[in-house]
Amino acid sequence: MCFPESIEEISAAVGIACRHRVPFVARGSGTGLAGGATPVGDPLVIVTTRMNRILEIDAADRVAWVEPGVCNLDLSRSARHLGLHYAPDPSSQQACSIGGNVGTNAGGPHCLRDGVTSAHVLAVDVVLADGVITRLGGLAPDTPGYDLRGCFVGSEGTMGIAGRIAVRLLPDPPAVRTLLLDFASVAAAAATVSGIIAAGIVPAALEMMDAPITRLVEDFVGAGYPRDAEAVLLVEVSGLPEGVAAEVSGIGQVGRDHGARHVRVAADDAERELLWKGRKSAFGAIARIAPDYYLHDAVVPRTRLVEVLARVREIAAAQDLLVMNVFHAGDGNLHPLLVFDAREPGIWERVHAAGNGIVRACVEAGGVLSGEHGIGLEKRDLMPLVFDPDDLDAQARLRDAFDPSGLANPEKVLPRGSRCGEATRAPEGTWV
Amino acid sequence: MTRLGFDPDELAACVGCGLCLPHCPTYRVTGLESASPRGRITAMRVVEEGMPLDDAFSTVIDECILCRGCEAACPSGVQYGHLAEAARERVARRRPPMRRLVEWVAFVAVLPRHSVLLACTWLLLVAQRLHLVPARLGLPRLSPRSLRTPIVPDGDPTAYLFTGCVMDAWQRDVHRAAVHVMRSCGAQVGLPTAGGDCCGALHAHAGRVGEARRLARRVMASMPGDAPIVVDSAGCGAAMKDYGRLLGGPAAAAFSARVQDFAEWVAARGAPPLRDTGITVVVQDPCHLRHVQHAEGSVRTILHDAYRLVETDDDGMCCGAGGAYAVTERDLATRVRDCKVAAIRAAAGAMPFLVASANPGCAMHLDAAGLDVRHPAELLAAALDDPKGAM
Amino acid sequence: MSAIEDVARSVERAAAVEITGAGTHCGIGAPVVTEGPLTRVAAPAGIVDVQPADMTVRVLAGTPVASLAAALAEHGQECPLDPEDARATVGGVLACGVSGPRRLRHGPLRDAVLEVRVVTGEGRVVRGGGPTVKNVTGYDLPRLLVGSHGTLGVVVEVVLRTQPRAETGRWFTTTAAPGELRARLYRPACLAWDGARTHVLLEGHAADVDAEARMLDLVPTASPSRPPGAHRGRISVEARRIGALATRLRDLEVTWLAEVGVGTVHVGATDPGALDAARFAASAEGGWLLREAGAPDLDPFGLPVPNSALHERVRAAFDPLGKLNPGRLPIAQVQT
Repeated sequence: MCFPESIEEISAAVGIACRHRVPFVARGSGTGLAGGATPVGDPLVIVTTRMNRILEIDAADRVAWVEPGVCNLDLSRSARHLGLHYAPDPSSQQACSIGGNVGTNAGGPHCLRDGVTSAHVLAVDVVLADGVITRLGGLAPDTPGYDLRGCFVGSEGTMGIAGRIAVRLLPDPPAVRTLLLDFASVAAAAATVSGIIAAGIVPAALEMMDAPITRLVEDFVGAGYPRDAEAVLLVEVSGLPEGVAAEVSGIGQVGRDHGARHVRVAADDAERELLWKGRKSAFGAIARIAPDYYLHDAVVPRTRLVEVLARVREIAAAQDLLVMNVFHAGDGNLHPLLVFDAREPGIWERVHAAGNGIVRACVEAGGVLSGEHGIGLEKRDLMPLVFDPDDLDAQARLRDAFDPSGLANPEKVLPRGSRCGEATRAPEGTWV
Repeated sequence: MTRLGFDPDELAACVGCGLCLPHCPTYRVTGLESASPRGRITAMRVVEEGMPLDDAFSTVIDECILCRGCEAACPSGVQYGHLAEAARERVARRRPPMRRLVEWVAFVAVLPRHSVLLACTWLLLVAQRLHLVPARLGLPRLSPRSLRTPIVPDGDPTAYLFTGCVMDAWQRDVHRAAVHVMRSCGAQVGLPTAGGDCCGALHAHAGRVGEARRLARRVMASMPGDAPIVVDSAGCGAAMKDYGRLLGGPAAAAFSARVQDFAEWVAARGAPPLRDTGITVVVQDPCHLRHVQHAEGSVRTILHDAYRLVETDDDGMCCGAGGAYAVTERDLATRVRDCKVAAIRAAAGAMPFLVASANPGCAMHLDAAGLDVRHPAELLAAALDDPKGAM
Repeated sequence: MSAIEDVARSVERAAAVEITGAGTHCGIGAPVVTEGPLTRVAAPAGIVDVQPADMTVRVLAGTPVASLAAALAEHGQECPLDPEDARATVGGVLACGVSGPRRLRHGPLRDAVLEVRVVTGEGRVVRGGGPTVKNVTGYDLPRLLVGSHGTLGVVVEVVLRTQPRAETGRWFTTTAAPGELRARLYRPACLAWDGARTHVLLEGHAADVDAEARMLDLVPTASPSRPPGAHRGRISVEARRIGALATRLRDLEVTWLAEVGVGTVHVGATDPGALDAARFAASAEGGWLLREAGAPDLDPFGLPVPNSALHERVRAAFDPLGKLNPGRLPIAQVQT
């Protein structure tokens, strides 16, 4: 394990790993949920937590250069006095690092309108798998050649390690309103989600929580989440004041048309922040009812939300497991949480069976394996559910182009056997 | 019960989400997982699973300041303080002989024996005057006048002021200010009788739980009746509010229920008339006031009318004092303090300022870094319409 | 489906392939060069599936942008694919990586592509990305394909992100300094500065658009026209250096229009030599000029691709024999 303090030190560490043919894996704050940073075998672990400096904030150009260990929320805090913020806001934003966000192409509630990490990363100075430092992307709008920056973001450390990152900052909106709508059924809430989009409104964030998680969250934050609701929607709209006002009334109307019992508009920033604190603490708060949870991260078309949520409940019930749902409804990005106590004998088999069933149900509904957490180890072997052998082969070759030696975070993202006719085409030293 | 002596459910409550990391002062300065609450809990788990309780584990546990900032951030409600104190109790049993001797002298021979502590303080005072005490130890400048002049309690007390051990020896002027304010509020102030000298907080932190319990019983006996017990040391107050759990039983719980921080007591009664001093005060929240007693609001309430209060933007991050921590883990304590001092100076900006701290340990630690630190009681006493008062 | 298979079979059989669209961007990149026979391949056309409630559309790459826009407009939606000439095909715009003038608000073209199906140099149909608006399943092939000039694969089908059309979108003009406009307006769609005036595109709720226009005394106008001239190019430079670049361009026989806050500067000239001079000015400010039309003797990119070895390997991963649009990009072929 090593703790580099500069990109040159990362390069040196990778260089040493290369010379000794030892695999290496980068690690940030350790908040990842797919095991992308989990060491497999005995790799060199390159921890970026000491590279936590914000190198530059250009307020006029709205660009910040940061080191990979900078905590996501610290960046927004540092830019606050300039009226700017960094848009991707994973629920773990108070702890997770920007480098990790780049690795997983992290999302967050506010990515509905503004896009996930990749839309906010302009340039990355990376250490490639042979230790060479190079810049992918740039501050100019276009670079000649391929968008290797876009390719690198979300590659989960398999194409190299980010050592410096240039991100786009957005101006704080002049008006922000947060609404809480509560419903007597999940179906009504899901229909409201579709209704809002159909009304031509793209909120900044559109989140759903079902009944068990709402009660749990309310126990932790006391924000006034209704304990008797079957589902709540947390909706945020932002922008210029008239448009925001129109969207607030539009969303309220759509909600009431679909049977919302109450439409509460947060009165001030304190109330807004409390509502969001509840949403963002949801996963951690699970331990209040059981010590372990298994969190999934699948995306389905928004229009299929109702049927998929019903399937998820059936699958969990079949394994006699409690399932909770708190997720980015606006994106169709589900986060079913299976809640259990790992000390119970035989529980893991049931949890895995339910987890697999949920992923398959999402894929059958036209969805994908992961919306923002990544593939890592966890979903690696499920990749053939959504990609055929030719697709996987193309991805494997792309990875080999970045990392011919196969030392950068091996065993992640792609299942073994992804390469068609590996033996004839694989460069020397590639893991198989 | 488990190998480390706590409820396995308390350990299982941590799901490893990492939301505590940015709230941990030692993680912030080191970037090491092993210096974070999640890392320490992982270490406790592997020891529970049979790994040896070795030096590495001792280091991991000892490096924790026990600020409990992580508890406030934890959505799962992990009782980290309980876990860490229990782990430290096990770690304390396997310290090297020299350290055990030093600890025995401090925890058994001096702290609980107030006359010994006062005698040592006189010796220290003389040494200070002879310039034999290195400034880097960060001790306060001791005052012979203060040490010579005892505080005279009122008869038939309507409230007790708990005076404690080190604080009474080194910072008795804070107690004087507190008594002055309490009397201005109309209270008749009682003091603990002999034996109620030391609350045992430092013992519990150091993993000496048996001694902590013994001292707790003595403290309870020294302040009979049902008058509220006012504590002007946040660390002592937090420990005394926890006697119910430490000792168990209804008597201890009833005693704990009487304990209030000085600021809580004043805020509940309403502060006496104050004049607006116009002075800028940066409020430093002692961890045991903020994360354990949750009384940081009261400090602001009572000072609000007399001072221009300024907040730091570090979410109440620990200053690194942590009872004896500043002595036992000097390097980490200094690095944590550097962050705190920077946050305090940034909050004050260009204005001259005082720092308010409701805990003697924090006050000494920050004072040694060149800040002018006052206890809220001193600030209130100075802003009373009649600042000289009866004393 | 069979149309896609046909493309795959053509590529598989061909010795070298030139991918054709509507020909609206044929001035971009170098001409295809090959010694042997050249097979021309075009992606099929047609809109497969509009999903307004999901804000996505699946479209075959040969579809003209105008047809796509019309199909989406029926649902009050749009996709910010804004080529100058709407006869351009979806696949052509993506392959050339031409982000439209509203990039300041809506982001670059690469952010609009959710899923791609491409025919690789070996004639395999490969899919990357996914049909949902959010997806991190596997590597980001869609972004890699955008701007790859057909050298990684023939884009045959894409899923694009759509969005509701803003209630109002109006152009204004002003002589106020562009930097001030950028600082004071909340996410305008475009700030096009020609050195004297700035054309401002505001989108959103009508009352907000009016209020912002009043605040800065903006005067309604028509959309600005691109700089005229037979020889045209597009400079890409860090947005903060547009002012300095403008000072250099003023001395040249070119007309130009800069997208403030983005860093794109459109340049037009009647003399190819002036375009070359503009390229020199761009490189002096750390940028580069892409030739878009005319100036046949001018190098299309004017500089080598960075990370050339990595580019070569990436290209070889998709097109190991170098069949696809050979010569178009200055990337050598890895010897396999």
